[in-house]
Amino acid sequence: MPAVSICTDSFVPAAEAMARLYGFPGYQFALMPHPLASLDDAQLRARARELLPDILRILGTES
Amino acid sequence: MAATIGGDLPSATRAESASDAGSATASPPGQTGPLLVDMAEIRAVLEYYASRQWTDGLPVVPVTESYLAEFLATTGKSPDDVVLAMPHLNRECTVRLAAINAAMAGCLPAYFPVVLAAWASLVGERYPTRGIWQSTTGTAPLLIVNGPVRARIGLNCAGNVFGSGFRANATIGRAIRLTAINVFGLHPHLLDQATQGTPAKYTLCIGEWEERSPWAPLHVEHGLSAADSAVTAMVIRNVVHIEARHTTVPEHLALDITGTIARTGARIHQTSSALVVLVPEHARMFHDAGWSKDDLRQFVFDHAANTRAELAAVGKDAISRHTYWRLPADHPDAMPDEASTSADPERVPALNSPAAVQIMVAGADNAGVSAVVETFGERGNPPSVVKVEDANEP
Repeated sequence: MPAVSICTDSFVPAAEAMARLYGFPGYQFALMPHPLASLDDAQLRARARELLPDILRILGTES
Repeated sequence: MAATIGGDLPSATRAESASDAGSATASPPGQTGPLLVDMAEIRAVLEYYASRQWTDGLPVVPVTESYLAEFLATTGKSPDDVVLAMPHLNRECTVRLAAINAAMAGCLPAYFPVVLAAWASLVGERYPTRGIWQSTTGTAPLLIVNGPVRARIGLNCAGNVFGSGFRANATIGRAIRLTAINVFGLHPHLLDQATQGTPAKYTLCIGEWEERSPWAPLHVEHGLSAADSAVTAMVIRNVVHIEARHTTVPEHLALDITGTIARTGARIHQTSSALVVLVPEHARMFHDAGWSKDDLRQFVFDHAANTRAELAAVGKDAISRHTYWRLPADHPDAMPDEASTSADPERVPALNSPAAVQIMVAGADNAGVSAVVETFGERGNPPSVVKVEDANEP
């Protein structure tokens, strides 16, 4: 199943290290600003809307 | 990406006399006569290890195949036996890799059976194999050593027990960290995402001062013989000291312990857990008042709690239905904690059972200063006590 990983910018080095470890250097994931854990419901929904274009781009979906 | 150690070791370092007038040279302690080593070459070797990032930041001991063989001779295990695997990283540590890193950490070969028991205990402890060493929580393994091996290798269980100054303590704990870095690739800022970490990530290995404890030592309490040596590993957040030089009333000290365990900043899950490291003076105070270890455990369990108002004030009065971590009751993911359905929903216990508290004795017999070690997770299950198997001991 096609999937897109989402991660906050604080975890980019760790995410890239895991991608290299699994043999996928350059693996693309959608990025959003830290923090995430302290966002409320409305802020989370806003983040999701902001991320959608990048998620669709990584999925390769035609716009 | 930083390299990990898995291949060949460098060939034996030179040990012949040096005539380089520009370099500082020295003989090993206790020897006189011609100079045997070239200090500049030694520094070059140390810098080589540092340049490969095979380090926790401090210099490491160069390891040769012949030196490695001395470590491997202390165990009946095969060099290729796996001591701990991390499937999510597709990496595993073998006896050989554990020995290389123990030697690099400064262990003597005689310490290696303790290091191997530590790895077996960490497997049983379960958190490391599930990725806790990469977590933002920034935990570190605490190794507790019991039994006759303490005296054989000079492992400190008395004064400055959490501090520096003892090779066995310093290097056995460090052997685990160097392996985490060099074998599992857990470099900070990369696969180790610890937000702040803890000084214990350099090393944390302590002995129990069994001879000054009025109670059975940890390994005997959990089924081994006093003649056995054992290692018990626990994933910890930190060590919090308790000042209690002023009292001879056991309830005073026991309430100081419970207050420390129940501090709101430590609360993540439904409940917490702790290792209480009593100094001999404090252990005697409980014992002389007729308290057993289980009495102390029960008292701590009965008293370690927060009011719901205290937790609400810090936004920890409910549980996330996704992560089971504490959060405010008005959070979209919030569900009631277990205490909410108890007979007294306003009282939120800090521990799930008396068994979530382990007790041991260590530290100098010179003051009433004990410690609560904040162990990670809710626990309540028996600790992971593993017998030390030394190929050279009967």
